[in-house]
Amino acid sequence: MRFTKLLIPVALCILLVGLTVPAQRKKGYAKKPAPPLPVVSAIDTEALKGLITQQRGRPLLVNFWATFCDPCRDEFPDLVKIDEDYRPHSLDFVTVSLDDIDQIKTDVPKFLNEMNATMPAYLLNVSDPEPAINFVDRRWQGDLPATYLYDEKGELVYKHIGRVNVAELRSAIEKAVKKTD
Amino acid sequence: MRTRNLSILFVSLFVIAGAVFSAGARAEGEVPAPPAIGSTIDDFTLPDVDNKDRSLKSLAGKNGTVLIFIAVQCPVSNAYNERMAKLADDYNAKGIAVVGINSNVAEDATAVKAHAAEHKLSFPILKDPGNKIADRFGASVTPEAYFIDANNKLLYHGRIDNSRNAAQIESNDLRNALDAALAGKAIEKTEAKAFGCSIKRA
Repeated sequence: MRFTKLLIPVALCILLVGLTVPAQRKKGYAKKPAPPLPVVSAIDTEALKGLITQQRGRPLLVNFWATFCDPCRDEFPDLVKIDEDYRPHSLDFVTVSLDDIDQIKTDVPKFLNEMNATMPAYLLNVSDPEPAINFVDRRWQGDLPATYLYDEKGELVYKHIGRVNVAELRSAIEKAVKKTD
Repeated sequence: MRTRNLSILFVSLFVIAGAVFSAGARAEGEVPAPPAIGSTIDDFTLPDVDNKDRSLKSLAGKNGTVLIFIAVQCPVSNAYNERMAKLADDYNAKGIAVVGINSNVAEDATAVKAHAAEHKLSFPILKDPGNKIADRFGASVTPEAYFIDANNKLLYHGRIDNSRNAAQIESNDLRNALDAALAGKAIEKTEAKAFGCSIKRA
């Protein structure tokens, strides 16, 4: 008898919790806003020069890419993984898109979002890309992707034009981050 | 003895295979160097979009020829469609022929023909199977232009102008080169880096 008296309130409590928890979960899920798209900042040639030459005391990896470039899209997951692996080991990594400025709030952040890319993202907003291309590398024709690694002193230690060779890039990063670790 | 001979044979085969592979392979992203300004361009023959062989000589204008590496799917090349069509109209009248070359492995003659019709590209367009001509010219991207005079001398190599956005043109490099050549003057800027989509090589 005493057991039955206890059982009823306990059963009622379980029922109540069972009914309210899914409702709360559903409510919470419905209210959760869509995550904002990554911010892509427009930079001109001077700002790009500043970005690359700035004394940071850490190695810097710069990847030039564009949404219209297939090999750029192909290599992006590898680059995101590299960012995840080496950011804790003092690697700064920025991406510079050479897409049209019209895409700075659409295709470019949308793609970065799909890739779960969280490294600082820029878009080169210039009417003439030649001075920026020549500043980065006189031998570079502007074909994409292009990846440059600078050591902690800002010296270029690795470059690759075309889809990166992941093992080669990782090995160059290992050497660069070891100097600062 | 027999085993030793076999070993020698296998080693030799490996060495030969390695040599053949390394000679034929090109590191990814590496494009052969373009010919120097002033060098003579040898005649070549490529199929057009109707699969008829056309030689550079047969297409050349009396005052020279502009070759432009173009694409079907590249948004940068496509941003220049109207400008390229106008360039051909303007300079055909002055004796300079414009010829398009599509070296992208994934864009076949049917796609190139349909694209040209859709965008009213009335100049001849050639397909470059195996990107042999893109390699010979050291072409990296689309659009990328070369101007050859009537004596097949390369006078200009690079971009059409400074911006894919027609409203932001500040330096009409290709037209400036053509105008200078037509006026018998020296070309001020003979090279300007072309920006666009990488040519998808075979």
